Formats: sequence, C-alpha cells, structure tokens
Amino acid sequence: MVDALVLNDVRKSYGNREAVHGISLTVKEGEIFGLIGHNGAGKTTTLRMISTLLNITSGTISVYGYDVATEPGKVREIISYLPEDAGAYKDLTGRAYLEFIAGFFASGKERDAMVEKGMRLADLGDRIDSKVDTYSKGMMRRLLIARAIMPSPKLAIMDEVTSGLDVINAFEIREIIREIARSGVTVVMSSHNMFEVDMLCDRVGVIDGGNLILLGTPGELKERYGADTLEEVFVKAVKNA
Amino acid sequence: MSHITNIISKELKELLTPGSVISVVLMVVLFAGLGGMIDSEIEKAQAFPELCVVNEDASIIEFTDADGTYTWSISSFLEDLYTSSGIPEDELSDYIRLVDSDSIDEAYAIMDEEGIGSALFVDPDFSKDIVSGTRGVVEQIYVYEPTGMFGTVSSSVVSSVMSMINEDLSKRLLGTQIDMTDYGFLTEPIDYNGDNVKTIVNGKVVSGITPQEIAGEVSSQTMMIPIIIMIIIMMVGSLVISSMGSEKENKTLETLLTLPIKRTSIVAGKIIAAAIVGLVYGLAYMVGMSIYMNSLTGTMSSGLNLEDLGLTLSVGDYALVMLSMFLSIICALGICMILGAFAKNYKSAQTMTMPLSIMAMIPMFIVMFSGWYGSGALIQAVTFAIPFSHPMMAMQALMYDDVTLVLSGIAYMVVFAVATILITVKLYNSDILITGLGQNKTVQKLTGRK
Repeated sequence: MVDALVLNDVRKSYGNREAVHGISLTVKEGEIFGLIGHNGAGKTTTLRMISTLLNITSGTISVYGYDVATEPGKVREIISYLPEDAGAYKDLTGRAYLEFIAGFFASGKERDAMVEKGMRLADLGDRIDSKVDTYSKGMMRRLLIARAIMPSPKLAIMDEVTSGLDVINAFEIREIIREIARSGVTVVMSSHNMFEVDMLCDRVGVIDGGNLILLGTPGELKERYGADTLEEVFVKAVKNA
Repeated sequence: MSHITNIISKELKELLTPGSVISVVLMVVLFAGLGGMIDSEIEKAQAFPELCVVNEDASIIEFTDADGTYTWSISSFLEDLYTSSGIPEDELSDYIRLVDSDSIDEAYAIMDEEGIGSALFVDPDFSKDIVSGTRGVVEQIYVYEPTGMFGTVSSSVVSSVMSMINEDLSKRLLGTQIDMTDYGFLTEPIDYNGDNVKTIVNGKVVSGITPQEIAGEVSSQTMMIPIIIMIIIMMVGSLVISSMGSEKENKTLETLLTLPIKRTSIVAGKIIAAAIVGLVYGLAYMVGMSIYMNSLTGTMSSGLNLEDLGLTLSVGDYALVMLSMFLSIICALGICMILGAFAKNYKSAQTMTMPLSIMAMIPMFIVMFSGWYGSGALIQAVTFAIPFSHPMMAMQALMYDDVTLVLSGIAYMVVFAVATILITVKLYNSDILITGLGQNKTVQKLTGRK
C-alpha cells in the first residue's frame, strides 16, 4: 500500500520553546489515522505543519511523495484541511461558499459538478441558499466537511472534527468520514473524543508534550495496556510517560 | 467589589489594551506636533517680511514744522517700524533691501534673483506728486509661492505696512501742509491698491490680484483632494485590516492558505479588490465633495479665473493625479496587509487602523497648512516619506509645472507598494500569520516571554 503521509523526525519550535519533539510516523493510503493528546500536546501544530500552514523547524514531511517544505503548492493540490472551529465567509450563502472554494480546483462544468457534489454532501436542503451566518454549528460543520471533501482530496486533515456537535450531527459526520475513507481518501484527524477515535480510526498515535508516545491500532493499544477502552489506554500512557 | 465595579474593571481591562493606549498617545503627540507647526507657521507668516524698496530716492519728501525742516521717506518709516517691533538696527538690512532703480522690470529681476517675495516700487514722480497735492503711486509687487493656508499671510502684512505708510504720510501732510484743502488727498496720499498690486505667478505678472486671492482660489480647487485621500485611506484601510481580523477570527484564513493558490495571488486579490472599492469610494466622495465645495465657494468666489494665470491642469496632469491617487491607495493597502497580518481578531484589527489614520492625517495637515513649498527640509522629508502625501500635493505641483515632484512621488510610491507587497507575501509564507507575534523569537527575546 502507498505511503500517503510520512513524518520523519519532525520538530517545531516557537522561539526557544520546542512544541513538537521529533515525531516520526507513516500513514498508509485509505487509512483513517487518529492523533490524540490533551490540550497543548502538539496535535494541532503537527496537523498545521502537514497542511503547509506552519514551517517545519527540522525533519521532513511528505504527502504522497511531495515534500511539504519544498513543494507546498503540490501538497495543497492533494490535501484538504479542516481547522478546529473553522468558519465560512458569513456574507456568502452555503452554495456561494462552495462555488468559491470549487473555483480553486476546477472551472466550467467540472466546477459545477464539484459544487453539486458539495451540496449533496452538505445535505442542507433549501438552506444551502441561506447566508452562512444563519447556520447552526451542525449545519456549518456539514458545509465545511462538504467543502473539504468536495474536491476529492487524496489526504483529508481534520482537527477536532466533531467538537461541540450534538449526537446526531456527530454521528452523521463520522458516517461521512467512513464513506470517504472507503472511497480511498486518507484521513488524518485529531480528537479528544476517545470513543470516536476508537470507532473510526484504523490506527492511532498518542502525543504528549510534543512526543509521540504510542502508535498502533486501537485493538493493539488496548491489548498492550490491558484496557477496555482507548480512554483508559490514553490515561495510562500519559501517566506513565 | 460591587457588581458594577466588577463589570467596569473587566471592561477597562478589555478596552485599555497596550495597543489602544499607544494609539491614543500617538494621537496626542500628533495633535501637539500639529499645534506647534501651526503656531510656528502663523508666527512666521505674521512676522515682518523681507521687503525690497525699489527707487527709494523718489520717496524722499521734505517737511517743515515748528521744530524745523526734516525729510521723510518710505525707508525711514520702515526702519522706525521694524526697529520699534524689536528688530535690531544692525539686522535691518536683512529685512529691508533698498534698490536704486526706476525700472519696474529691474525690480522683478532683483526679486527673482534674490528670492525676495514682496517689494514696493516707488513711482519716479512720487515726491513731486505728493508735494503738488497729487496722490503718489507705490506699486506692491508680490511673488506668488504655492504654499499652504498661511503661506500668503505675509502679503497681507505688507499690505498692512503700506496702509501704515499711507497713514503716517497723511498725518505729516495734515500737520504741515495746512494750505491744502483736498482732504481726499490728505487722508489717502498714496495710491497703492487696485492695479497697483502686482503678483508674479509662474513668471507672469498679473495686476490687481493679491497672492491671498490666488491662494484662496487655488485651495478651493485643490483642498478637497487631501481630504478625500485621507477619508479613502482611513476607510479602505479599516476595511482591509478588519477583513484580515475576521478571516483570522473565523479561521477562514487557515482554509484559504491551504488551498492550491499562490500566496502572491491571495495578497494581490485582496489588494486589488480593496483598491477597486477605494476608487469607487474616491469617485463617490469626489462627486459629493465637489458639489459641496461648489455651493460653498460659489458664493465666496473671488471671480478669479486660474486659467488666465496659467494655473490649470491638462488631461495628462489629471491622469497623473489619478495615477498618484491609485498608487497611494495601493501603498495604503500594502501597509494594511502588513498590519492585518498581526491582528489576532476583528477587535484587535480595529486598533491596528490607528497608525494608518495618523499617517494619513499628517500629510493632510502639512499640505493644508504650510504646503510642500512652504515647509522646511525636515517636514518635506517626512511628507515625502509618507506615500499618501503625493496625491495630496500633486494637483498644486502640476499647476506650477513641477512635474518632477509628481513623477518622483509616483516612482517612490511604486517602490513603496512593491516593498509592502513583498513584505506581505513574506509574512503570508511565515508562521506569524497563524501564530501571531507572541510566538516570534525576536518578540520573545524583547518581551522576555517564553
């Protein structure tokens, strides 16, 4: 199976403070990979480096063979990044927002088809023509997930994708993530919700204090720690770290 | 702590941020500086000007009173006037320049050569006329300089001096020539107004017009440009910085930066869109302001036709003014993009507009009060360095055919705009846009934070 994402001894410093201390991992094509860790552990910084938003202090990251530091343009063509608590342009309607984003990936009929796909994924009915600032948090998240998936990225990076959503919205978004992974899209996501990570992810990485302290499938990790849940694994791993 | 003091304390902490306090302090410094500048300009304008008296000999008149015979002349009166105002006798020659010539053309040449702004040309028959009971003629000659609001005050000072000379001569005539009965002549012995006022504009001599009248007419046609530029820059600047603040607050910027689009395209797109809005605002304001100014100045107009004085703009000149305006907007947007990169959210973006507003206000006041040509080297350097000054000065400069100033301003703005765009692109490629200044190594060193 192709390596979709390879991190090799990746470090990130903010001034004199090192936030990420030499993380190395590989994510295979079509995998759903979960990064878990408490607040400030370095998850978002890692996702932002993969997404070309932050410069890497040392080490390398490659996405489908493209180096993030030297070929950011190529990387951006095949990824989609969904930040935590992301919003959309409030004065646009949902449809206009999807059209705006689709304009960066395609033109003409191809663009129209992409927008149609986005609207189908968002499943907002008539509200797709309402202004974004009238949307509930769940509707906004659906629109943004649709935006992220609509261009058919090879790698989708999602930070706290269901954070703050109600049960139904969170369930539906998890279904969408499963569906896109089945279609061959690689997903790298971070979450505080261990139940969600346990259910969704093929493999999990636990980050603590900028270090990758655990890596494996949820089953392997539970077995290694003699735990029933991933939450228990996480607590034990962090306490022993 | 009561509930209300609790709320007041929280609100004050939120409102009085270091950024807002610095902005207020800068504003105070700006207005104090402007006050000082206006004071010195008024002082300079109201001081006795350097004056050239041409054909002084023709003004010497002999009077006889109870104490005996004495002579009176315009220069002796001026010397008494200047010394009584505190000017030391040994410095009088710096203020009063006496030229022995009965040719007015020579007077113009001397003024031009020596850079003297005001002169009194005494008619060769002046003393003969006065003695015979006929009004003597003294021509007031001014060189018009394109200065600001106070630059032409010196011509009114000379006019007042001339009125004092007239009054003094009148008193002496009334005290000695008691056989004269033409009281019109005795009260107004000198003919120094009307066509005897000559102003040199762009090397051309025009009669019956004072520099103040020309300045009034010129400023009625050019003063709206600095105001419009200031309004547009403050408005468009606020739009762009706020838009950057909103993008960060809503995290739409993070999405935008991960899309397959070049950073230069994002920066250029934002700047061009805002520049279009700026030009639309500019045109709307220009139409509104010109209607307002026409109705305001229509009733007060001196009836002076600037075309007759050669103070008009060609189509090419207007094109240069528009280009200058457009470039200044681009420069403003470049600055805004840099400032916006440091805005954490919409609220912090609001305080970021203050430096831009100050930068827009400084040249507006300088251009309006002292003008480019009436300012000292330091103020000229500051004015030139602020890109928004150039469209504010362009119209007046072009009226005086100073194309060099306008073109050098345009060249400077091009360099400035390119530099700000390159800095913005560099910022867009750095972490600062996402992490803010707090995570910057240099800032951490300076603030001692980790």
